[in-house]
Amino acid sequence: MINVMLTGVGGQGTVLAAKVLAQAALSKGWQVRTAETIGMAQRGGSVISHVRMGNEGEEVHAPLLAKASAQLIIAFEPSEAARVLPYLAPGGVLVTARTTIQPVTAALAKEPYVADAVISRIEALLEGTGSRLVVVDDEKLIAQVGNRKALNTVLLGSALAAGCLPLSVEEMKDALSACVKPRFVEMNLAALDAALA
Amino acid sequence: MTTKLLMGNEAFAHAALEAGVRVVAGYPGTPSSELVETVAKLHAEGAAQGVHVEWSTNEKAALELAAGASHAGARVLFTCKQVGLNVASDALMSLNYVGTNGGTVLFVADDPGPISSQTEQDTRRFASFAKVPVLDPATPDQGFAMMQVAFDLSERYHTPVIVRPTTRVCHASTFFDVADTTEARPVPEEGFQKDPKWVIFPRRAYQGHGEINERLVKIADDFSTDPAFEQFNPVFTGGMTREMPQIGIMAGGVSAAYVREALAIVEDAASAAGVLIPAYRFMQVGTPYPFPEKAAAVFARGLRSVVVVEELDSVLEDEMLKLAAKIALDSAKTLGEDIAPALLEVLGRYTGHMPDRGENTIDDIALRLAKLLLSERYAQAADDDSRNAIEAVFATLEEAASGTRFAELNASLPVRPPVLCPGCPHRGSFYAIKRALGKQPAVMCGDIGCYTLGNAQPLDAVDTCLCMGAGITMAQGLAVAEPHKKQVAFVGDSTFFASGLTGIANAVYNGHDITVAVLDNATTAMTGSQPHPGTGVTLMGEKRKPIDIEGVLRALGVECIERANPLDLRECEAAAKRAIEFEGPSALLLVSPCIQLVKPSPAVTVDTETCTGCKKCITEIGCPAIGFDPAARGPRSKERGQVFVDASQCNGCNLCTQVCPFGSLIEGGCRD
Ligand code: SF4
Ligand code: SF4
Repeated sequence: MINVMLTGVGGQGTVLAAKVLAQAALSKGWQVRTAETIGMAQRGGSVISHVRMGNEGEEVHAPLLAKASAQLIIAFEPSEAARVLPYLAPGGVLVTARTTIQPVTAALAKEPYVADAVISRIEALLEGTGSRLVVVDDEKLIAQVGNRKALNTVLLGSALAAGCLPLSVEEMKDALSACVKPRFVEMNLAALDAALA
Repeated sequence: MTTKLLMGNEAFAHAALEAGVRVVAGYPGTPSSELVETVAKLHAEGAAQGVHVEWSTNEKAALELAAGASHAGARVLFTCKQVGLNVASDALMSLNYVGTNGGTVLFVADDPGPISSQTEQDTRRFASFAKVPVLDPATPDQGFAMMQVAFDLSERYHTPVIVRPTTRVCHASTFFDVADTTEARPVPEEGFQKDPKWVIFPRRAYQGHGEINERLVKIADDFSTDPAFEQFNPVFTGGMTREMPQIGIMAGGVSAAYVREALAIVEDAASAAGVLIPAYRFMQVGTPYPFPEKAAAVFARGLRSVVVVEELDSVLEDEMLKLAAKIALDSAKTLGEDIAPALLEVLGRYTGHMPDRGENTIDDIALRLAKLLLSERYAQAADDDSRNAIEAVFATLEEAASGTRFAELNASLPVRPPVLCPGCPHRGSFYAIKRALGKQPAVMCGDIGCYTLGNAQPLDAVDTCLCMGAGITMAQGLAVAEPHKKQVAFVGDSTFFASGLTGIANAVYNGHDITVAVLDNATTAMTGSQPHPGTGVTLMGEKRKPIDIEGVLRALGVECIERANPLDLRECEAAAKRAIEFEGPSALLLVSPCIQLVKPSPAVTVDTETCTGCKKCITEIGCPAIGFDPAARGPRSKERGQVFVDASQCNGCNLCTQVCPFGSLIEGGCRD
């Protein structure tokens, strides 16, 4: 069983990334279940997508992950990465974008929220657990692609590059091409290449 | 056939179409909305032939329309969220008495948590109250199968049938093989047959009540024995020892899937600690009402206790308590006075073994089940080693479920509640009305939709929220009780048509001094931009003349109607003042489209030369695109820091540029 959690802020595109993974799993002949956050939280709240792939022919019952069961977490935003840490399996990998999205609550508060502070606290908690943290310089990669909408592909590519997905680059490209609108295929393939480079 | 990755709700749409549904009508509401949207999409693509699909004005209208079509023999599907059934309940109660003709299925989605709802009500309970059979899927695949047999069940007994998934089933996706095209079943040639039975009258109701009671007995039997339904109540035994199970686990809905995952986790943890999990028997109840008592009695045979795992209400637990009483009575009768009767202990929420509200989770269920399954073994453990081993199992599960290691970090994170989008026109509406009210004592009655989010800081502009359309009428009650305060009610355009009209008529007729702010953003935004009577777009692809809200207000007798653009602060505030000062019912029509419908304008920029770092733009309107950087420096902000605008989020609505007292927020495209 491969359990992947994708997390971010409503509107960042976790749903599409989950779809791409499901599509890739289908082409491998695995059973898949995914689950999405839909509703109020999509308006700038915390959103989570769960992806469960039965890569060894096992049956997948529940669409949601249990805590401590995600081999891979892909976070689109650092504070959202920190929020879902309890889901990371021992030895799992957490891939997170570095760029923050400041919630209104943080702007109103006296102490604004700083990415590096959160990231180093995550690092400290993961130390010695066998789990790994991969921080993606998403700003640089997005600048190369020229469109923030490609963040989901950039992060998928980074997870692939970190060796956390049992998929080949070709399989990922096929799944991407099948899931995104035709006019965005090229941009997304470029984003994948940028992340893999 | 094509294999597609479908979300539960999308799959249920395919299932209904494959079952030949002819009429689909509903009102949007999370987590139910995607079903109707999928039917509409397939219809527009030409894949779903012969179907009529519509968003009706509200749930009551949708169900009554479906009832009419069913009377004529069409297969019909009605959809709503759990609270939507409250609106349609008047129709449902009587429809069950007169009975149905064409298969009549009600798709009602429940929302444990609740994640996007006002209540944690349980449609299984509603079904038993209305005396209507209900099917409760654990997975999208099972829901797909249920949707198809629901039509057959409805036609076999002339009863409405409810299919009630919960959020996690509605919004879970998996792969389905679905038909490429579907054809609706034609309405039988004889069509609607006139008959006194269709007219609800006290005499007819008495007769109908008998018919209902008789069919419920038969349906309960079918649920236990007919393979078409019995498959939804699967039973299996598990555990790591081979004795006869003495513990039973009964689960309903998505909890049945959670339990299966949880049991695997418990068994893994036990194996790792060298502990054996005793044999247990599991049953999913996918047909909770009428309760499949026969099947449950077979499941309970020989068990000493059953733990019930479900969400929302204790529906299955109640049924098992009844069954336990029957089992004890029956055995007391047959065994005589001298032998102790068979006692089945029912564990669940009443006994504190399961949480009494909110969503269940796999981890929490795993811990609770492990404690139940191993409690006897622990009490009887021969030595410290075996006790320690069991404690190790509990500790592993406890650690995962509680995530204590991460609690401190978690508590330090900024909270991220949902907010109005950057550029949302409602932000302007709320802000302008607050300014217009100034220091006058006032109550702002909110309603259901994105604009409920106006309650968040810093806008803090929603004082009440009850149910669809209630803002308008609650304001009238407040006006009667507190005439010295101003009463402003907010209502969205979709809610206005769904259930605002009666409230407005009431205000005019009874002369209540309120101001109704109609936030017209040309869509039903919260549930994903569905059309409504005011947009003129229908799901069948036809364009109609939109119903004009201002015309409706005028026709209902509202004499003071002000109109303004909510993103023009000055205009909006002046209009709001006039409407609020008017004595008697007045309306304020605030018209600007939801940002999901239109292209954004260029982002605003911050003039670092003049920004003083006063934060007024943040503390007044709280747009999520505006952040504060304490490290930024400028000639006027000095050490205070400055605001910044996240260009990837800013929608260019220019509301903030009207709020900044120093002109430091510059309209996009104005510079250079
Ligand atoms: S979806 Fe539309 S109405 Fe809802 S918050 Fe966003 S802009 Fe406002
Ligand atoms: S113009 Fe100002 S208020 Fe409007 S979206 Fe951009 S930052 Fe927010």
